[in-house]
Amino acid sequence: MELLTQIAGSVLSLGSVAAMLGASLLGVLIGALPGLNPVMAIALLLPLTYSMEPLIALGMVAGIYNGSMYGGAIPAILMRIPGTPAAIATTFDGFPMTQRGEAARALKIACWSSAIGGTASALALMTIGPLLARATLHFGPAEYFWIAMFGMASIGVLVGDDALKGLMAAVLGLLLGTVGLDNLSGIPRFTFGEPWLLSGLDLIVILVGLYALPPVIALAEQADLKGLSAAALKLGRARLGWAEIRGMVPTWMRSSFIGIGVGILPGAGGNIAAFLSYSAAKSASKDPDSFGKGNPQGVAAAECGNNADNAASMIPALALGIPGNVVAALVLGALLIHGLQPGPQLFHQNPALVGGFMAQMLITSLLILLVGGAAATRVFAQVQRLPGVLLVPMILVLMAVGVYVINGRVVDLWVMFAAGLAGYLLEKLSFPLAPVVLGLILGPMAEQSVRRALLISRGDATELLTRPISAVIAVATLGLILWPLLRAFQRRRRAAARD
Amino acid sequence: MKTLMLGAAALLLGTTAAQADYPERPIEITVPAPAGGGTDTSARMLSTLLEAELGTSIAILNAAGGGGSVGVTQFMQARNDGYSLLATWNSPITTVPQMQPTAYAPDSFVPVASTSQTAYTLCVAPDFPAETGEEFLAELAANPGRYTYGNDGIGGTMQLAAERIFQARGIETVAVPFGGAGETLQNFLGGHVDIYGGSISPVLPYAEAGEAKCLLVTSAEAVPALPQAAGLGDLGLGDEETLLWRMVLAPAGTDQAIVDRLIAALETTVTSPEYVEFLAGVGEVPNVVTGAALGERLQGEFDALAEVAQSLGLAQ
Repeated sequence: MELLTQIAGSVLSLGSVAAMLGASLLGVLIGALPGLNPVMAIALLLPLTYSMEPLIALGMVAGIYNGSMYGGAIPAILMRIPGTPAAIATTFDGFPMTQRGEAARALKIACWSSAIGGTASALALMTIGPLLARATLHFGPAEYFWIAMFGMASIGVLVGDDALKGLMAAVLGLLLGTVGLDNLSGIPRFTFGEPWLLSGLDLIVILVGLYALPPVIALAEQADLKGLSAAALKLGRARLGWAEIRGMVPTWMRSSFIGIGVGILPGAGGNIAAFLSYSAAKSASKDPDSFGKGNPQGVAAAECGNNADNAASMIPALALGIPGNVVAALVLGALLIHGLQPGPQLFHQNPALVGGFMAQMLITSLLILLVGGAAATRVFAQVQRLPGVLLVPMILVLMAVGVYVINGRVVDLWVMFAAGLAGYLLEKLSFPLAPVVLGLILGPMAEQSVRRALLISRGDATELLTRPISAVIAVATLGLILWPLLRAFQRRRRAAARD
Repeated sequence: MKTLMLGAAALLLGTTAAQADYPERPIEITVPAPAGGGTDTSARMLSTLLEAELGTSIAILNAAGGGGSVGVTQFMQARNDGYSLLATWNSPITTVPQMQPTAYAPDSFVPVASTSQTAYTLCVAPDFPAETGEEFLAELAANPGRYTYGNDGIGGTMQLAAERIFQARGIETVAVPFGGAGETLQNFLGGHVDIYGGSISPVLPYAEAGEAKCLLVTSAEAVPALPQAAGLGDLGLGDEETLLWRMVLAPAGTDQAIVDRLIAALETTVTSPEYVEFLAGVGEVPNVVTGAALGERLQGEFDALAEVAQSLGLAQ
């Protein structure tokens, strides 16, 4: 009890509240600007807070992290440009909704879904976090291999109408993922003697180019000089009816569950959570064909999934001292500078601080409703009223700045433009882009994991299947591959019965 | 002749005036590692203290990848005006060039000062049949190829540090490279690999809680934080010491007066109570070797690791 009052006192202090509120706003802004990403913002801002109270620094991290995950949805919905890599899946149904004149509704759904996903994740962090963290230790290389395979199997759900083109896109992603120094043999692959290629192709650089550039080129093609009239943007008028909210509850529950599950495993990320949530929603839907054509459930699934990843990704960091992603690593770095030792004793060592940070993750999730709904959405959506001739160069400059700042290298800009051009051509040839991304993310994960697993088993491949957890995920992967076939079979039988 | 001398004198005066004012503008420190890691955190902590000492602001530029070689290669382009510095750990300079062609060598930079150091440690599960460093090595030697050990990456300093010891004792183990100490720790705690090989700080809380038995450190001396772990000196392997250490380097041709100013500033900040306390928290100790002595230390380590890499068949 005493601890709770202490936590409430420090979390609700003026500095902490100001940090959370300001950072949430900033986070939405950073998320909404393509190229700028939360990892970079936190890495730049965190050192400035080293001399302040730890909870001010951590409140800032929580705000930027949660705010940006929602912010990424704004341009994804309005312009088909994902503001952050995790918002790629949001474009699938968010932009068709905008084209139908339902931008406001899509934004509102994204806002609520983000807040709900974030809240569920924060509650998981506060309650079952430490228990779950111990469970993740059972996931070794063999299990990670199957997780990657499961993710790749979900490509089947995402490929769209032309399965062959979808698979070709996935193979392109896999190929791009092989570039760089191989961590297991120390041999450089496809680096052509270029030192900057040793670390592989930077995921964010490729994603920004591949996903944000084609819509920008499309905007430029329209050569729009006027922009939208104020009347054309009907924002803030959308109301979600109870029936609609009730219809989304299963999607929210499923996506929160997936997001938390993916978040808690070190190494997986928000974009995988969003993709898996999206493909799960599509598989579970009675009308899977409406996905990709403006189904609100698609927006809800993607946004809920990527926010549910956030707080959960802090679980292994806070409970075990093992950072699962860069933001978690930055948080641990900040704790070290404040004289705290990350590890299983962290919570006992300083319950007020760790509990306070957990509470901040919860509060900033709820703040999305206030900041995202009331203020930010209306302000940022106005950007869409700018004529294309102004908007296109502005977005390009922002993308270039964001990409340059990641590693401070000019060559990354070329990589981004090359990826963008490739993305543009692929779209023109109606290749889906999502499989490229999944191949690029999951390929290296699958390859390295399976090789590690085989090193450990001394080359015995049956060990990939005989461990209980990997067996379960392997069966699930098989089910995911067979699911569309089963459904098609069922449908045909039903149709035959009707005749 | 007279004008030439005058010119030279003016030039000399000019440079000393510039050095007297150093630093006049912000300094950029390249860190060849991602934000949030050990090298990054210690560089950022150091830079906040250095800012006060030098009276200028310092920006950290993270340029990660290729085991640090990407950032160091990028730093080769930096101007030698004293406003571009490199804060690195030893591996990109002394280990990575063994495996990959790099555009730099240990003597491509002006050595400024080393800042801190720590040993790597080898830990096992509590039920492992050994209680001391000597028993541990004996168990490994008696069971060639039976045990797996996780390390930070193939040909990384951690792996070479372990292999130096194993080779000296004729030990054969299976190296499983992971993406970093966090991943190694996760797989060690989950029982997927038998031996944790990595830096001390991540595993320290588990050693204290009795969930990990740390039996060996890669320094000649034992480490007080890990009382059960033997130092290499205790096992007669003192010559095989390999440490993880951090340093600040400047581009070749940086003015000696500026380097001296930086050395003085680093000596003060690294030994300040604030920094020493921070280091203790991450399991490191301050260690300041400056100038030419630092250059010798780099070259010596490079040569020793070249031998191990050669015998492992890893060398390029």
